[in-house]
Amino acid sequence: MKAQLFITCLAEQFFPGVLEKMVALLEKLGVEPVFPTEQTCCGQPLYNSGFQEQARQLAIKWLDTFSQSDLPVVSPSGSCVDMVRHHYPALFPPGTSEHSRAVDLAGRTYEFSEFLVHQLGQIDVGAVFPHRVTYHASCHLLRGLGVRQEPLQLLQAVHGLELLPLDGTETCCGFGGVFSVVYPEVSRAMLQDKVNHILESGAEAVVASDAGCLMNIAGGLHRVGSPVRAMHLIEVLASGINLD
Amino acid sequence: MQKSQLQSSQKKISQPIEFGAYSEHVPGQIPSALKYATGRFMEQRAASLDELPDWEALRQAGSAIRLHTLENLDFYLEKLEQQVIAAGGQVHWAKDAADACEIVLELARQHAVKRAVKVKSMATEEIGLNHALQEAGIEVVETDLGEYIIQLMGTGPSHIVAPAVHLKKEQIAEVFSQEFGIEAPTDPVQLTAIARQALREKFLAADLGISGANFLVAETGTLVIVTNEGNGRMCTTLPDVHVAVAGIDKVVPDWESLSVLLKLLPRSGAGQKITVYTSFITGPRRAKDEHGPSEFHLVLLDNGRSRILQDPGGRETLKCIRCGSCLNICPVYRNVGGYAYGWFISGPIGAIFTPQILGVQQASELPFASSLCGACDEVCPVKVPITKILLHLRRRVVEGDGYELAVVAPPLRAAAALGRQALGTAWLYRLGGRLLPWLQIPWLRAGWLSKLPPPLNRWTKVRPLPAFQARFRKWWKRRQQVSTGDQP
Amino acid sequence: MSEKSRSAVLDAVRGALQRQPGDSLAERLPVLSSRQAASQAQELQLLIDEIQKLSGHAQMISSSQVAAALAGLVRTYQVKQAVLWDTPLLQQLGLAARLTDLGVRVVPAHSDKQMLSECDLGITEADFALPETGTLGLLSNAERPRLVSLLPRLHLAIMRPAALRADLHQVFAEARTHAYLILISGPSRTSDIEMTPTLGVHGPRDVHVWVLETDL
Repeated sequence: MKAQLFITCLAEQFFPGVLEKMVALLEKLGVEPVFPTEQTCCGQPLYNSGFQEQARQLAIKWLDTFSQSDLPVVSPSGSCVDMVRHHYPALFPPGTSEHSRAVDLAGRTYEFSEFLVHQLGQIDVGAVFPHRVTYHASCHLLRGLGVRQEPLQLLQAVHGLELLPLDGTETCCGFGGVFSVVYPEVSRAMLQDKVNHILESGAEAVVASDAGCLMNIAGGLHRVGSPVRAMHLIEVLASGINLD
Repeated sequence: MQKSQLQSSQKKISQPIEFGAYSEHVPGQIPSALKYATGRFMEQRAASLDELPDWEALRQAGSAIRLHTLENLDFYLEKLEQQVIAAGGQVHWAKDAADACEIVLELARQHAVKRAVKVKSMATEEIGLNHALQEAGIEVVETDLGEYIIQLMGTGPSHIVAPAVHLKKEQIAEVFSQEFGIEAPTDPVQLTAIARQALREKFLAADLGISGANFLVAETGTLVIVTNEGNGRMCTTLPDVHVAVAGIDKVVPDWESLSVLLKLLPRSGAGQKITVYTSFITGPRRAKDEHGPSEFHLVLLDNGRSRILQDPGGRETLKCIRCGSCLNICPVYRNVGGYAYGWFISGPIGAIFTPQILGVQQASELPFASSLCGACDEVCPVKVPITKILLHLRRRVVEGDGYELAVVAPPLRAAAALGRQALGTAWLYRLGGRLLPWLQIPWLRAGWLSKLPPPLNRWTKVRPLPAFQARFRKWWKRRQQVSTGDQP
Repeated sequence: MSEKSRSAVLDAVRGALQRQPGDSLAERLPVLSSRQAASQAQELQLLIDEIQKLSGHAQMISSSQVAAALAGLVRTYQVKQAVLWDTPLLQQLGLAARLTDLGVRVVPAHSDKQMLSECDLGITEADFALPETGTLGLLSNAERPRLVSLLPRLHLAIMRPAALRADLHQVFAEARTHAYLILISGPSRTSDIEMTPTLGVHGPRDVHVWVLETDL
């Protein structure tokens, strides 16, 4: 089986390790990744800021890039997949080629955990991570895509991992894309709540499936001097496995 | 800030609402008080939903009922009017806030009203009715305990269902002490007893009762009011004249649809299966020897709702039944409180209602006062697609649409277009990825960028940025070369 | 002015919806199934339980127990003045006379509101009862004045089992033709001060419901 990689702009800039592990993990699970090099950004930041016309242009570019092949698309970010799945079709008038391509790609673009569980039927990938871990449910993954159980199922199957509950696991961390810089003090308050809950959970690591949340939470933990690591789900799933 | 908040709700707001500026200096007690109160509301809500066999089906039915009503609103408004008149009531139509105030003032004049008592009504806050009546020398007393308290304090509501939820009992005791010239205790039970007695006198002396409406049933011309305290009954039974002011979006087709909405409203708002009192009032009293007002007046308020109705992207805003559960779940609201939203209606529903009524020129900050987390969409009992409407309004602010011109200046829009072109041009984007790790060096410390110059400091003042380290494409290329056998 | 406003508003609404005057409804509304009642005994027990949960008091009572129960109430709540609905059932139970015997001043239901406000006890019937939520439904007319269940600090509602209804739907089906209905679920309450529950804000602080064991 082959799949196209949609690496996302934030993960590309800030979490290259996650992308490398995603590639290795997919290969181990029998998926041959393909990387369309023309990809840039799906346009979500512009769309969420109200620049729908600009977002539409980026969407066209994204569609041009990924519609070159019929292969499914896999991404490490729930919010980017939500953009493609729910907002792309609405950006184009029905009947246009952009619209039909958007609908087509919306139907075959997956976030990583839903791809593993539903497309590959994989829950136990053989990962080993003997630590206390808690899970932050990213908003767009949870409410946008309806991906609620899959990351938990994957984490629970990791050998040695102790999954601890997180108070307010479904509460927004305060990233919200441009929101974090438009209203930084509100973002700060929300981040503080999230960091406090993480510290109260007793976990050594907090796992999320979205680069935006991770940037925000990792930065928040660092600023209070906490040793708790913010990790991407993929990093945990790639732990303790021989990926070569 | 609080006094100006009250003033602005009494007159048409002329200054832009400054959510951002307010949010930078939120008084410390507000988030803690709100988190406690809204947390309790949500616990109660969850418990009350657990007992219901199918909450989702109920929500879907509620949403369908509201949408159907809005799509046939003219029909139902005329039906409502016809029925209220047949029941002996009178119906007045108000295009806007000034119209509505004038209608009530005229009625008050006709009846030589000196003292009015009011049930909590968001519509009357929207039009600034208290101020208009007080200017005409009429005493207006808010009788909902929370509203009574904030009226004494000279401030506005911080939550749409529990207006005084941000206050401490010591503050309330202080204001009672001043008002009654006593040493008021801080015990809530005793404070309530003081209010009961004081307001009882007002109820008995009032010549006008003013209410809003939770629902208006078109089928029979019936006004529905839900309260827990009993002040709704007092205001609509004791004075001889009763005036109800309600938005045209409060119409419900019939009693059957009403029963669905009455199952949704109290559970969503405060986790109650039903409020203590639900009044169903159809016209004035029928005979002289009955209790109740001899005159019933219904004022139907447009004030911009017909414009929202016209916009398919915003229409569902009017489905709202004012339960407050979107406020209770919203992490933004819980951290800033109601005053930040600049008008009588706050939280997620405020962020979409206010810009559509007052226009995005005055309320351009509100559609952005959200991280788009979507929690509000999930809890709304009538499925108002709040997040979708926020995005719709953000576009209106930034690009303008058929309803309003853009607020964002052309230079910023041009900058965004340039930015998009750079972002969308693959070689430029890749070049940026290769340059940023070098450009960041002056600020890079141990893998973090903790202090960046403006405008990036808007991020770093709250938390550091991880280092820019785009290396995937190089890694991928090398990997491809290895596997395609650049090897002997 | 109002006529101009009326057309302005209705025209704006029709314009927004692109509808013409006289256009019919676009579609039918969904109908949800309503609750089915269990046995009468179960419904009554549910009603009593739910009322107690709301800090009200509810009990089954036979007509021979009424006198003693009334005396108990008068004593416990120190009732000095009372007002009653003027209905056949309450007359049959001879409540006014019993109260007078107990030294309670009974004022006519059509006394002025000041007098009614000074009553400690208001006695009504309940025209409807909803067990699921512990709710009483009271209609209003000349013999059922509204203030009797509102002004006094103690409200006593006497009902027949026949008042039971399974669901709001059934209550509405009957009440929709009446000019007034009040649904009462427990005593008056608020949590407006620091979320502290407090009873008896404006309406009665105490609600007692007596369900007559046999229909009279």
